[in-house]
Amino acid sequence: MDVLEFAVEKALELGASYAEARFEEKNGTSLAIKNGNPEGLQVLADRGIGVRVLVDGGMGFASTNVLTRESVSEAVRKAVKLARAASKVRNKPIRFSDEDFHRVSYKVKMKKDFRDVSPEEKLELLKKIEEEVKATGVNVPMRYLMYSDQLWKKEILTSEGAYVKSKIPRVSVTYNLVVFENGQMEQAPFVQRAFSGGLELIERDEPWKWAVKDAQALKRLIYEGKRPPEGKIDLVISPEVAGIAVHESVGHPYEADRIFGREAAQAGESFVKPNMLGERIGSEVVTVIDDPTIPNSWGFYLYDDEGVKARPRYLIRDGIITEFLTNREYAYKLGQRSNASARAINYNREPIVRMANTYLAPGDYSFEELIEDVKLGVYMVSFNEWNIDDRRYQQRYIGREAYLIENGELKHPVRRPILEITTRALWSSVDAVGKEVEFYPGTCGKGEPGQGVPVWMGGAHARLREVPLRRP
Amino acid sequence: MFELNEFILKKAEELGFGDVVVLGYETDRRQVRFANNEITVAKNWHERKVELFVELEKRIASTTITELSEENIERTLKTLLANMKGMAPKEDYYGIAEGPFEYRNIPETFDRAIVELDEPNDYVETAINTALSEGAKRVAGVLYTDHDRVYLTTSNGVEAFDEGTGIEISVRAFVGDLESGHGTNSARVLKRFDPESAGRKAGEIAHMARDPVQGPEGRFDVIFDPLAFANLLSYMSFMTSAYAAEAGFSFLVNKLGQKVASEIVTIKDVGNMPNGYGSRKFDDEGVPTRETTIIEKGTFKTFLLNTSLARKYGTETTANAGLIMPHAWNIVLEPGDYSKAELFSEVKRGIYITNVWYTRFQNYVTGDFSTIPRDGIFLIENGELRPIRNIRVSDNLQRILEGIKALGKESHHIHWWEVSTPVSTPYVLVEDVGITRATK
Repeated sequence: MDVLEFAVEKALELGASYAEARFEEKNGTSLAIKNGNPEGLQVLADRGIGVRVLVDGGMGFASTNVLTRESVSEAVRKAVKLARAASKVRNKPIRFSDEDFHRVSYKVKMKKDFRDVSPEEKLELLKKIEEEVKATGVNVPMRYLMYSDQLWKKEILTSEGAYVKSKIPRVSVTYNLVVFENGQMEQAPFVQRAFSGGLELIERDEPWKWAVKDAQALKRLIYEGKRPPEGKIDLVISPEVAGIAVHESVGHPYEADRIFGREAAQAGESFVKPNMLGERIGSEVVTVIDDPTIPNSWGFYLYDDEGVKARPRYLIRDGIITEFLTNREYAYKLGQRSNASARAINYNREPIVRMANTYLAPGDYSFEELIEDVKLGVYMVSFNEWNIDDRRYQQRYIGREAYLIENGELKHPVRRPILEITTRALWSSVDAVGKEVEFYPGTCGKGEPGQGVPVWMGGAHARLREVPLRRP
Repeated sequence: MFELNEFILKKAEELGFGDVVVLGYETDRRQVRFANNEITVAKNWHERKVELFVELEKRIASTTITELSEENIERTLKTLLANMKGMAPKEDYYGIAEGPFEYRNIPETFDRAIVELDEPNDYVETAINTALSEGAKRVAGVLYTDHDRVYLTTSNGVEAFDEGTGIEISVRAFVGDLESGHGTNSARVLKRFDPESAGRKAGEIAHMARDPVQGPEGRFDVIFDPLAFANLLSYMSFMTSAYAAEAGFSFLVNKLGQKVASEIVTIKDVGNMPNGYGSRKFDDEGVPTRETTIIEKGTFKTFLLNTSLARKYGTETTANAGLIMPHAWNIVLEPGDYSKAELFSEVKRGIYITNVWYTRFQNYVTGDFSTIPRDGIFLIENGELRPIRNIRVSDNLQRILEGIKALGKESHHIHWWEVSTPVSTPYVLVEDVGITRATK
């Protein structure tokens, strides 16, 4: 706290009109097993301070991991100098929206504190995946399993009176499985289970069950998989597929910094324009929410990195674009209040507009009701390859586990059904949404240098009518 | 910093660790980001840290120490020791390289002018103005300057130092919503830095890309701009690591000695490339970096290795440690003998792709992937270029390598957000590339 106060005061003395100092400390361990061999232990202990300032309408940022007064003072001096020089290459000064600020402290509790658990016990979680996968009898010659835990401590102080102290533990298990049967190979890569909280969340989630399900589904795909139907057919997507679709084609294009072109160079622009608020983008059953406050979620936070209180953000309500994701800079441009989307992955990164936990809100259909009147369709359960253009309009998702739907019933697995579609067509095709919401973790990439932030993606099942399905 | 390294090594040896590697870093990095023809933020990073690798009876661990007091160092080593004692050994661990080694300076990797550069904003303005003069309306991008010092000490007699600098720019220019172009320039010494060329290329392509029409789908001969092909080779570089292959992330698994590319394809990793953005004198075990041929005239010759993985497979290290995961330094696709004009005249009807992003794999072991062209895309017909949009490359990485028909004679060194491992590549002509598009 002392060093943060020192940094903010120093910045104001040097001429900043706004100053924000953020201390972050991350401690944790990670372990990997590759094809049965423990790959070693990695211990993370990182901390430092980042300072962001506005001077004459220019923005500067500097960070250091040397926490002496001299070093912090030097960082502040550099941030101010950079901001002042940057202000000369601007058409309009940067301004921030007015907000209510708080002095708060919050933390996520761990029932089973991972700091009290030895690495060998954590390794047992991965060994359990090895054993359970082996017990299926499926031939999985390549297995890469990783466990990771981190305790994130953060303190933010701004010259406008925000002070937020937080402590968020995060645990995750990730695996890559390559199934080789009958001379064919299928893969479930980078599958992750992840939460904010203690080790009990991983134990309760039983990642080995997910791995077993994947290994068995891939084996079945190899032996029983047939070509998927092609052409305009109905497609039912799982919460996992709905999750990647809302993340890519709703969350990203609604980021205000993209909409205004700040991300144009690397992570891209957006097909969405400021005047599209209130415009229809999907059918009436489509509502998409981004909510950082979901307890134990991978994208959890209660205050963003500009000190603004978080709340659920309704990006699409009943098919209508209702809200963009904003930080203070872009809330000001829109004449709004910030909805607390400013996140930085570490002390050495600037806060930028990010998602947290984005999901397709539930409707009122059971899964059986979703498929019962589908004459010919596909149920896409999980995906591997996916991508989207930099305006977030032309996208593609390829099924990993997927099944034929015929006359209202699930039939045999189908290989690599491909949905390649525009954003507007995708969300306009949805005619029914399931009742149950599920979430899947991911790392959302954006920023330069890159900032991979933890997010959840998910939602309910959804039925898409007459979408163009292709096959390889 | 070497005194600190020595202290860590001494304490680690006192505690009974076997192999120990101490990599100290002092880095100063500066960034200027710009968009809409103005600077959005300018940043400065200063960092001092030690990466530490330790081995205890075939158990291995690593950590990064950023609080470099003697108390914290001792505490960290004791924590590692306590945690490692109960762990299962890594049975396929075979040690680190035996030093000492002799090192040679790599030309054009350090320039005091970059260290002393007070204000890089002029370069940003040059790039923006050049792009605008080519017809762009909006220009966005990022400029970096780097100054890195690396201090390496190992329990096997290595003490090595390297100091490097760099300056680079990435420029994206827009005419309208759908018309854009991209140019980059990366150099290790100031006199080689050319922000104007990056701005010019971005502006030229954006201007050429005006009023694009929906592109076709099917199989086409495709000319990949160096920026676009560097993306594919950068993804491939990860797959050349023996670690990635063991973990199931490589289409090169079980293909040593086999033909995996067209006969005109030779791909190398060059750790000691003059003016290479990834060049360094030594790898993380202290082995002097070198040139390693990965694919020679289409045949896959070797994975990239560190000492432990090399011993596991009965061969020599390729000087690509990464103690846990070997990695490439600078990937080089050897150029061919076509001028750019000759290359384009080879294509009667095809597509010119200037940039790609969002490369994702359906299956890493088979190599099936897709990637999205961004910025200008052009249909080539009878020597003319017509702008198109909204297509996707959907193919297989090995098939792309096998389909390489001709290579330009000029090599371009590419490093940016989408190409994290630097790549030197010419213009590349690939036949029968799979192209798809959304139909709704």
